[in-house]
Amino acid sequence: MTDLQDTPRRRLHWLRPIVGDIQFWIPIAVLVGGLLLLTWVA
Amino acid sequence: MDAAPVPAARLRQLQAVGVLSGFAAGAWLGAAEAPTKVVTLGISPIAISLVMVLGVFVARWSLPALIRGTANVGTDVRRTPHLVVWALMAGCIWAVANTLTVFAIRDIGLSIAFPLWNTNSLLGIVWGALLFNELRGAGRVRWLGVIGGATVMFVGAVILALVSPTQAPGGSSARGIAAALGAGVLWGTMYIPYRKAYLTGMNPLSFITFFTIGELGMMVSLAFVYLGGPTGTWTELAQVRGVLFWLLLGGFVWVVGDLFQQYAAKYVGIGRGIPLSNTNQLWGLLWGIFVFGELAGSGRAVYGQVIGGSIIMALGAGAIALSTAARAEHRRWQEAAQREAERYGVEPEYVRARLSGYETDAPRGRTVWDWLIVGVATAVFIGFAANARAPELQIHYGWALGLTVVMLGLLGGCGVALWRTTRLG
Repeated sequence: MTDLQDTPRRRLHWLRPIVGDIQFWIPIAVLVGGLLLLTWVA
Repeated sequence: MDAAPVPAARLRQLQAVGVLSGFAAGAWLGAAEAPTKVVTLGISPIAISLVMVLGVFVARWSLPALIRGTANVGTDVRRTPHLVVWALMAGCIWAVANTLTVFAIRDIGLSIAFPLWNTNSLLGIVWGALLFNELRGAGRVRWLGVIGGATVMFVGAVILALVSPTQAPGGSSARGIAAALGAGVLWGTMYIPYRKAYLTGMNPLSFITFFTIGELGMMVSLAFVYLGGPTGTWTELAQVRGVLFWLLLGGFVWVVGDLFQQYAAKYVGIGRGIPLSNTNQLWGLLWGIFVFGELAGSGRAVYGQVIGGSIIMALGAGAIALSTAARAEHRRWQEAAQREAERYGVEPEYVRARLSGYETDAPRGRTVWDWLIVGVATAVFIGFAANARAPELQIHYGWALGLTVVMLGLLGGCGVALWRTTRLG
């Protein structure tokens, strides 16, 4: 945990590990691929 | 920091309740198809999907409010705010996958499409082993039980699907196959957020509350794109208001099944929980054959195929159910959970307790808001039921009652087991 004060940065600091988590980008890539596939099949 | 291993007796309890949840999920997810069968043709598949998701949304807010109270959701969010993002994303993935299945059925028929998207459980095993240490240290016999069982279930699913009464209407086969496989990949990958949430300790009832916002948001967006904006969507729904209740009911039943699926994913992992809940195909077939008389007049060969496919599928599910995680594997799960706790700054004690099925800090009791949510949800269902048209299908009510009793038995049995073991944690 960081010791930042109660600022917008402090309140949203929990978002940072998500962006740095490779496991987050796997479902995101699959979701984007799924949307592209949908535009083709629909 | 080195987590103490979960006592062997406790681990056996958790695994047993996870397996039971997987089977209960299969029964309820399969039954969710039943209300949709009373809807006659002529409705846009996107509209069907949208109304089911509306039912799902109502159920996913009201059931947690009724069972535990929404104060628990707040506690979970304060501890693990990052999981809200994961839940929203998982909901979006579900909606896209579900819409793809609609197009797959249109183009290649349910009999080919179903086994193709059922490959999601195989992908779930891969992600579970690769990302969350599932099956690590499990030993050869358990590996064989899970992977062999899932493969055998897939073979059973293909056999059952081939006798499925919905035949291919003759669209573009390449597009249909791509849509079905795409849905399988999406659903298989959707289990990454599930496992992530439950390793870190989030309660399934909290996860689904946010999951459904992503689900409804994405589904409404897709409906607006494909049905001609809000006006086109409203017009489509207004034309079919007489059958909306049955679709909402399908969504509600589906949520109960999905809730059990979430508990299965939490306590036996996605590699085992997802194939177990894929027994929904068996239950869907039971409803089709006995309640709606779908195979009436078919020859012996067809019935032989149904019985053979069902036995094969049940054997595969049995192999998985007998291959639950032992202590060595569970230690590896704890390591994966520890990694999550460190990455996201979640208290290790919280993660450890939740992974063992304990909720020490959960507030109990319901507030006026919870009763308000339950009241509104009940009013929505009563409102739609008042406008519902009686189904035009011939229904064997004796069989419907029998299957409903079995489902309620599973609901009660599994619910009590979950309560006694984990307090629905």
